[in-house]
Amino acid sequence: MKLNRRKILSMLGLSPALLAGGKVAAQQPPASGGNLIEGLNPKGNPPPIQLVPLAPRPASLDGKTIYLIDTGFAGGGLLLQEIQHWFERNMPTVKAIFKRKAGPYMEDDPTLWQEIKANGHAAIMAIGH
Amino acid sequence: MGHCITVEKLGIPTTPLVTRAFHELAIGNATKRGMPHARITFTPHPVASKTPEELRAYVEGKEPFTGEPFMATIVGALTKPLTAEERATGPMKVASGPERYGPDTPDHLQQFYLDNGMTDYLPVIIPTEEQVTAMLAGTRRKPDEIVGRMAAGAYEPWEYTVRQVAINAVMAGCRPEYLPVLLAIASSGTPSLMSSTNSFAYAAVINGPIRDRLEMNYGIGALGPFAQANATIGRAWTLISKNLGNGGIPGDTYLGSLGNNLNYNNLIIAENEEASPWSPLSVQKGFKAGDNVVTLFQGLGMVPGQGAKGGALWDGHHEKQISDIFKIFTGLFGAFAVLDPLVAQDLKKNGFDTKEQLIDWLFENTRQTVADYKGRHFYDGFDLPRALNGIEPFVSWSKLPDDALVPYWPSKDFIHVVVTGGQTNAFFQAGNLRHVRSISIDQWL
Repeated sequence: MKLNRRKILSMLGLSPALLAGGKVAAQQPPASGGNLIEGLNPKGNPPPIQLVPLAPRPASLDGKTIYLIDTGFAGGGLLLQEIQHWFERNMPTVKAIFKRKAGPYMEDDPTLWQEIKANGHAAIMAIGH
Repeated sequence: MGHCITVEKLGIPTTPLVTRAFHELAIGNATKRGMPHARITFTPHPVASKTPEELRAYVEGKEPFTGEPFMATIVGALTKPLTAEERATGPMKVASGPERYGPDTPDHLQQFYLDNGMTDYLPVIIPTEEQVTAMLAGTRRKPDEIVGRMAAGAYEPWEYTVRQVAINAVMAGCRPEYLPVLLAIASSGTPSLMSSTNSFAYAAVINGPIRDRLEMNYGIGALGPFAQANATIGRAWTLISKNLGNGGIPGDTYLGSLGNNLNYNNLIIAENEEASPWSPLSVQKGFKAGDNVVTLFQGLGMVPGQGAKGGALWDGHHEKQISDIFKIFTGLFGAFAVLDPLVAQDLKKNGFDTKEQLIDWLFENTRQTVADYKGRHFYDGFDLPRALNGIEPFVSWSKLPDDALVPYWPSKDFIHVVVTGGQTNAFFQAGNLRHVRSISIDQWL
């Protein structure tokens, strides 16, 4: 059976990289004067962006229903519950409903979005740590 | 941010709450999703770990950027009339720069690439037309062919061609024969830099005869800086992730709190198929022996294993040592054991005739209490929502008493074993890494 040198080295526990060659001479840095070159752009192609308008705002929140959405980031739920209490104390005509979005934070929850569309007038969503 | 824009699109005024540490990220994220003027309300940082009393102080305090009362900012975000900019529709112009830079001196170009975030902050090879043309000889694919799309997180992905992958391969110091491996990795759309606040690490395991054609090192120091292919393929993956996937921009597309040293050139492993007593990883993933395959892993990093007592090669019970190390890992990611061939040979001698038998043993013998399981960082954010959504085994585990024992991973598929190294001693390492995907390299030759 013919064994190649890389396999033999591996069986002996030696690095096959040793076969890469014995060239050890360091390369000299390029000359900086007069040697002009062009470098290619290494960046990829970004996707096109379509502007999305914000939803129209109501003149006030009086009598409105606001959804407070916890997406799952640590502490977000507690913060929203404090906001809910603030509305109870300071804007009692606002109905503030606390909801936990289903699934991990990055997963969509179309059922909840439709509930907000059907029953809500505004939303506050905790999305950062 | 995507959820907020979804709700805005339904006609519901929305204000996202984000801590001030993510100011630029939040605005950048909203812009990439088409809503550069989203009405974001910022809180002090952090929110996580704060008591209700501390959070109440946030709510009753000031918004950190407007200086207005926090709740007044929220109410204003939901009620103030829209400006013309906020009502705007249509395309927004985006571009990633000209096709080429210069002419200039190599030193100036080197500094330009560094200053513009196109490098890993180590010197690169300036990708000239001549060098990129030479690199493209490493594949039969056409230069303008689309290879794939990549996103560094929850963003719209960027797209790239064979030529653009080749440009990054030149910068990393690759030889043309490495290009098919990079095209395979790039085709998967898997970045080696993830936007998470955790500091992810990535690994690529390479199987097949291409290991020898590229002169990859799977002997002494297999995971170290001892071969051009191992070093530069991994480095190119990170440059691809930055330049082609728009990843690795701190505060924008990269948020890893501590960062990860493995991101410089990732963990590139050529499996030592010749010295392993078991089938290659690629065969376990459904490929034929002899196929050239790269298998990608994602997770939190690697830890060393000391090996069995006395480095014994008889009855060493390496399986016990490996399972003990696995117990420090989080179940959200997988368990990834890298064994020197001496360890694998010893395990085979002790009855583990296949990798699958070892994986079965490790799965069955690595257990945690439900109390420990629920106390882990990822439980609230990932496993609990899955349990609430009725997904097994999370539903069943969540109903067990605190002292019950459950596996570390949802299934055996979360455990992988690879064999590499120079057989100077019976050591192993282990990583909290999960399988992402396995890709044929042959299709990119």
